[in-house]
Amino acid sequence: MKEFMTGNHAVAYAVRLCHTPLIAAYPITPQTAIYEKLSEWEASGELKGIMMRTESEHSAMASCIAASLTGVRTFTATSSQGIALMHEMLHFAAGCRTPVVMVNVNRLLAAPWGFWADQLDSLSQRDTGWIQFYCENGQESLDTVIQAYKIAEQVYLPTMLSLEAFFVSHFMEVVDLPEQKQVDQFLPPMDLPHKFDIDKPGFLVPVVPSELYQKYKHMAQVSMDSVKEIAVHVDHEFKEGFGRSYGIIEPIMLEDAEVVLVTAGSITSTARVAVKDLRENGKKVGLLKLRLFRPFPVEAVQTALRGKKKIAVIDRNISLGSGGIFCQELRAALVHVPEHPLTYSYLAGIGGTDVTPEIIEKIVMDAMKRDEPFDKPIWVTEE
Amino acid sequence: MEIQCDSSSEFVIPISYGSSEITQTGKWGFQKPETVFMTAPCQEACPAGINIPQFVYFANEGLHGEALLTILKESPFPGICGRVCFHPCELNCNRAQYDESVSIHALERYVSDATSNQMVELLPLAVGNSNEVAIVGAGPAGLSCAYFLSLLGHRVTVFEARKEPGGVMRWGIPGYRLPKSILKREIQRILSLPIEMRSGIKIGKDMSFDELSRFDAIFLSPGAGMNVPLSIRGERLGQVWNGGEFLKRINSREKIKLGKETVVIGGGNTAMDVARSALRLGSRVTVAYRRTRNEMPAIPDEIDEAEGEGIQFKFLIQPVKISLLGNKKLAVKFQCMRLGDPDQSGRPRAVPIRGKFITVKTDHIITAAGERVDVSWIPGEFSKDRLIKKNPSPKIFAGGDAVDQPRTIVTAIGAGKRAAISIDSFLRGDDGKSILSGIRLGNKGSLSMEAYLQGRENGDWPEAKRVVPYEGINTLFFEPSKRARVRKRNRDRVLKGFSEVNLGYDAKEAKFSASRCFSCGTCNYCYNCYYFCPEGAISLDSAQGRRTVDFDHCKGCGTCAKACPRSVVEMRELP
Repeated sequence: MKEFMTGNHAVAYAVRLCHTPLIAAYPITPQTAIYEKLSEWEASGELKGIMMRTESEHSAMASCIAASLTGVRTFTATSSQGIALMHEMLHFAAGCRTPVVMVNVNRLLAAPWGFWADQLDSLSQRDTGWIQFYCENGQESLDTVIQAYKIAEQVYLPTMLSLEAFFVSHFMEVVDLPEQKQVDQFLPPMDLPHKFDIDKPGFLVPVVPSELYQKYKHMAQVSMDSVKEIAVHVDHEFKEGFGRSYGIIEPIMLEDAEVVLVTAGSITSTARVAVKDLRENGKKVGLLKLRLFRPFPVEAVQTALRGKKKIAVIDRNISLGSGGIFCQELRAALVHVPEHPLTYSYLAGIGGTDVTPEIIEKIVMDAMKRDEPFDKPIWVTEE
Repeated sequence: MEIQCDSSSEFVIPISYGSSEITQTGKWGFQKPETVFMTAPCQEACPAGINIPQFVYFANEGLHGEALLTILKESPFPGICGRVCFHPCELNCNRAQYDESVSIHALERYVSDATSNQMVELLPLAVGNSNEVAIVGAGPAGLSCAYFLSLLGHRVTVFEARKEPGGVMRWGIPGYRLPKSILKREIQRILSLPIEMRSGIKIGKDMSFDELSRFDAIFLSPGAGMNVPLSIRGERLGQVWNGGEFLKRINSREKIKLGKETVVIGGGNTAMDVARSALRLGSRVTVAYRRTRNEMPAIPDEIDEAEGEGIQFKFLIQPVKISLLGNKKLAVKFQCMRLGDPDQSGRPRAVPIRGKFITVKTDHIITAAGERVDVSWIPGEFSKDRLIKKNPSPKIFAGGDAVDQPRTIVTAIGAGKRAAISIDSFLRGDDGKSILSGIRLGNKGSLSMEAYLQGRENGDWPEAKRVVPYEGINTLFFEPSKRARVRKRNRDRVLKGFSEVNLGYDAKEAKFSASRCFSCGTCNYCYNCYYFCPEGAISLDSAQGRRTVDFDHCKGCGTCAKACPRSVVEMRELP
């Protein structure tokens, strides 16, 4: 059934369709609409779960972890300062191997204060041990929530998916709502091997010796690594059930591309239009969309970009003192590819500034002109 | 610590099935929680010092027997006070500042009624060389004193001038407020103790005051049984009756014929009892009082009930002359009054308006303008201003309406208790003054017999507990609610006789009312501390009355103290 709705509401529908018994959250713009929609359904009885209204995001995540350890599906949504406050608990969620699913609406981090799209909030949580997806629109956000549960519950790792403030969270688009039956078929009931057992009381998170700590981190890394394959597999299954798929990356017109744009999130949609226009004007431009960010799909990226000469990565984020984070990751992934391409880092859309097709064309033209490596990020703004 | 990994989950996360108790987190703390029971403001305000939060807790748990025993520790008259007390406890209830005070008065009655079929065995302390104490006057003060002294192991003889014990409870209060069966039960309970009750003996007439000197201690509680005369012309006419005498006749079930109209003079509780009794004898009743309703000394509930039953009030008039008319009717000439400056008691004085009078015609006049003490039988040095001196001599003690104190039953009970404790300490050679200070409940004069017994047993006298202020209650834990109303018997039926007006609470109303108690300063096992303790270091056992903290694991975080809604947990710094 197709409906016109915002990205936030698409997420809320997905959570409802997944029969999530425990939702613990704290409101924060621009995520609040998710919280409100789920609360509405709780009040009307349409949501078969509990909305736990916690006093902070830190507690929201703590509640999700505890609930997850009883063996139930959990969900939270947050943004910006909320995810920053959650930071400590994000490590706990991953360390306890709880398949919590979280939606983060990308909003800039203060200071200065603002509400606009910027991916730094979730990217600065990249080392917390969470699986991370970046979604392009409402439909993909809805579909990725459903996929996220399936992936997380296979590898016992928490999964976060990000959609950008307002560009996705508040824009209304036509979204195809899956049937409940379809989702039920796709997503089996959740279970955890290490859930709390009332008849056999145990204590999770005990103090462990160094060697054991190292061992568990190693095991988690192995699980994390397996996500690259599992995510592809789940995406294929999803296509069979729902007719849509996204891949962990999406290569677009790469075959003969002289310059390849690399994007994540909503800028991809604009880039699709820009690339089409450039191609019509005879420019050999391709586009690579990064959807899975953690684990970073190194092998898939290497394969997709093998033999390419120039890469232009667009980052709506900046790691001060370095540059765009997607670019850093990409450069690291390509370093062992023989004759690896020149990779340029473009910063556009930071703080929610608009990235228009014109800006993207400007980036492509700039990259085409360059022949030498350039390490520093290049700021792109509307004239 | 041993880490055992479950084989099924080993590949994701270690789980310890051993205990984390080995980590003695208690060593990190610099403060420790302590359960500190405090005095509730209701308890402070109760002249009898009843442990109200405790008995209400038991009532809420449905443990009515325990609730009764809790009251009986401090007062022998739950059934009577549950009916006729002016309940200052409710005025001081912390909950009154939140929504409405807890219905303590009606709950006390409920506890008494709910246990009316239970036999209570009172066990006096065994004392080897028990002393002999004489008590003069078997009203609420004398009977309370006898009750407590007997429980403390003394041999008590009570001398009562009238033919039966009870004082104002028997001869003053009419049956529609206090059924005789209740009085009988409560006096019987007291007299089940080894107390010698010698009724019909008037000291100074049937026995001399000096004969009392053979006792080791004497308590004088003769009450205030004499009517204050109006001292006006016509007062001795046949249709002018004395209120105390009238009530005594009512309470002796004498047949009394009253005319169509009766004027009652006075504004106190006796006046209300007289007026409502006269109404039940079929007369139309008007109460004449020289001040206004606000200054009436009667309990407000009594005034409301009198008014509700159809009694007329005429304020700001004072009788100056009564004359007999030809048709056998009386004409009362009243001086009209106005309110003036406050007197010593703080009430505005009634001041005559010059030259302004009214005359009222009536069949009967009953005077109830106050009572006073008959001190004629007491040696002169023991009395002053028609009252018995509070501490007449080392071995003579006095209390109740015959000394300078508010004339209410509950105050008399408190006086009886105070006398019993004073006499006991005197006979034991203890320092009564410092003991009385340690066992006081707050600062309004009431004493805790429980604290006295504890101190007496182990020789370690407690320090007075603090009173929980409203600010000490975490009201977030309470839903606002209204008091349950006490049901009354149908008005038309009530006025045809002397059956009890108030019906009290049923079990549901009582349970609800008890559940409204904040339990200020008293643990009622709400388990908040238990649930909130992050270390799981608190154990509670309501059946055993135990609250224990595992100090090996209590970090002293103070969460329990914050989570306690009723100020029972206090954090104490470690040395």
